[in-house]
Amino acid sequence: MIEIGHLAAFLAFGFSIAQGWTGLSGDREAAGRLALSAFAAMAIAFAALVLAFARSDFSVELVAEHSSTLKPFIYKLAGTWGNHEGSMAMWCLVTLGFGAAGAAWLRTDRQVFEARAIGVQGLLGVGALAYLLFASSPFLRLDAPPLQGSGLNPLLQDPALAAHPPMLYLGYVGYSFVFALAAAGLMEARIDRDWAKIVRPWAMAAWVPLTLGIALGSYWAYYELGWGGWWFWDPVENASFMPWLVGSALLHSIIVTEKRGGFAAWTALLAVLTFCFSILGAFLVRSGVLTSVHAFAVDPLRGGLLLTGLIVYGGAALALFAWRAPALKGGPAWALVSREGALMLNNLVIAAATATVLLGTLFPLIAEAAGRQMSVGEPYFNLTFAPMMAALLAFLPVVQGWSWGKADAGALLRWIGGFAVLFLAMRLLAGVLREFPAGAALGVALGYWLIFGALVEVGRRGLWEWRAVGPSLRRCLRLPRRVWGMTLAHAGVGVFILGAVVETTARETRTVGLAAGGSAVVAGWTLTLEGVRAIEGPNWYADEARLIAAKGDRQVVLEPQKRFYPAARMPTTETAIHRTGTGDLYAAFGDRREVDGEPVWTFSVYYNPWIDMVFGGVVLIALGGVFSWVPRRRRVDAPVREAATT
Amino acid sequence: MSVLSFLAPLAILVESHVLDPRQEARAQALMREIRCVACENEPISQSGAAIADDMRNRVRAMIADGASDAEVRAWFSDRYGEIVLFRPESRGLSGLVLWSAPLAMLLAGGAIVLVQRGRKSDAKPVAPEDLTDDAA
Repeated sequence: MIEIGHLAAFLAFGFSIAQGWTGLSGDREAAGRLALSAFAAMAIAFAALVLAFARSDFSVELVAEHSSTLKPFIYKLAGTWGNHEGSMAMWCLVTLGFGAAGAAWLRTDRQVFEARAIGVQGLLGVGALAYLLFASSPFLRLDAPPLQGSGLNPLLQDPALAAHPPMLYLGYVGYSFVFALAAAGLMEARIDRDWAKIVRPWAMAAWVPLTLGIALGSYWAYYELGWGGWWFWDPVENASFMPWLVGSALLHSIIVTEKRGGFAAWTALLAVLTFCFSILGAFLVRSGVLTSVHAFAVDPLRGGLLLTGLIVYGGAALALFAWRAPALKGGPAWALVSREGALMLNNLVIAAATATVLLGTLFPLIAEAAGRQMSVGEPYFNLTFAPMMAALLAFLPVVQGWSWGKADAGALLRWIGGFAVLFLAMRLLAGVLREFPAGAALGVALGYWLIFGALVEVGRRGLWEWRAVGPSLRRCLRLPRRVWGMTLAHAGVGVFILGAVVETTARETRTVGLAAGGSAVVAGWTLTLEGVRAIEGPNWYADEARLIAAKGDRQVVLEPQKRFYPAARMPTTETAIHRTGTGDLYAAFGDRREVDGEPVWTFSVYYNPWIDMVFGGVVLIALGGVFSWVPRRRRVDAPVREAATT
Repeated sequence: MSVLSFLAPLAILVESHVLDPRQEARAQALMREIRCVACENEPISQSGAAIADDMRNRVRAMIADGASDAEVRAWFSDRYGEIVLFRPESRGLSGLVLWSAPLAMLLAGGAIVLVQRGRKSDAKPVAPEDLTDDAA
């Protein structure tokens, strides 16, 4: 069976080469058909792989190494992409999938452009497939199949982490098609309003799953690793965060290109760079140049090949850019105080912030080359990345109503005054209530400021702008979907910041050792250990503690586990979380000790206030992306608009 | 607080020193900044390794003795090398580059934008509503 998959993957490889050739020579129809064929072949190859995992076919090397009959069925399937080779197969599948989607849904009057975009996507598929087939083949057989597989990393046996890679890859690899569209646009030196209108939905199609994929990974780390935190500025996290940041900059810059024809070269550059950052991320994670708690399947040779791919594709695209960018037309003139100016500020700060994340992530390597052993972690990013982004976001409510070309700067001062008042109020309130330091109070003020700003923007557009029709709530609800998308996303950033700042500032942590019947107090909750019992699951056994948490007349049971997976010889923690509504009471099972001949178990107990707003905020951001995905096409373009821009 | 001290004897303290809330917050922050020497890229606040236990207790002990944050960092850096500090020091060329680069990049980017924009005084206002939503 797996041989059929292997053959199909080679077939997909052949189709992709042909797709690249016909596409670049401008044959839209042939390239489209080949893209669909390549995807169909790759789907068969991937299905064969999934089938091998479903049937626990241990004669396939990959299955023998990463699966086990003791595993629940759903995690056998998820095991397909829970390893290097399988995840590269998924990378190929998504690359060819986007090629096929482009072939099916790109319907413009620019045939050659479409053909070239599909062609470039074919070439990206060729690279990915070559890497899959010749450097990390998942289709290899074993001469002597074992009776039992050696299991999957038990940390990965988890619903959020089963869904995390597909989401992340839809995002990462989705940007390959944005890259292809940028390359095709650059070839004919046409990065204009038309181009932006075609590309924006594709950029959004990658950005939304990437957002959710990062959130899923973070949520998993929160409840599975038992460290009470949700973001660690770990190299692997940074590797997925950088494409997201550049992709976010692109979503803003492309608006200027779409509406005004401006920022053309910059938008094209971002479109190219986002995918480059995706490959860079894969390289950082897979090569082992950076050590990380999340990294799996580390191999220097494969890393070298990924770096080569990055240099070849990125270099070619940048050369194309350098050649064609001077020929791109710009938009009409704009003042610094204008919508363009605001979006330029957005892009400038996000670019600098991304460069900071890149620098911080790579710096230990740079320092080592200079003979110094250094670590760069959370404090560095909190002191550099965070203030930069905070300063940018503080402007958001002020500038989001600015008009194109030139805006009225007068209102700016009033807004700044408003923010100052809000900040002082928060400083006072937070100081009294929670003893927050100034930075945290500023963060809380910023969160409310963004939510308030989003509401004001909807109000302004819906209630005050069209006075002729009369103010009404209905007008608000009838606002274009893109306005709602923007509002939701910006409010989501506010919600996220509130949650993030409150959670990291006011979180309470204690490590306690409890004998049976012992108790401890964390954040006003009294935790009493009733006892510890041994339980057994399908492919693990565990110690499960029964903690009674009481506060006032509320009483809940927390049952954290310490699991052991014999197939992988690996322990994991299963945290117990009680959602109080305003925060999580969170317990993770530590180790067992002997104190005076009595067994004592240690627990890490956290109280994480407002944690739901961290993840809820990100979901709102993604939802905002969904809303503004595709523009509403109900009304015909007004002729006034063309006049305004020519 | 009174409830806590009443119940404390029931819990066998894994934490070596009981700190007041302000000291505890400082200790927690420092534990997130100091890298466990036995693990890959994890701060001692997260690590389950035995040595991380000792390192955490050392942080608590120093804070209980009235050490400043800088003194705690310096102690760990002297003992285990600079690599244990997730907040890298700003000394030396590497430190200077690392800490000044973010602002420098931001300013350089801003300068490039201003130069690139050049003479653009003929800008005319266009209301965003004409253009923001594609539906219009």
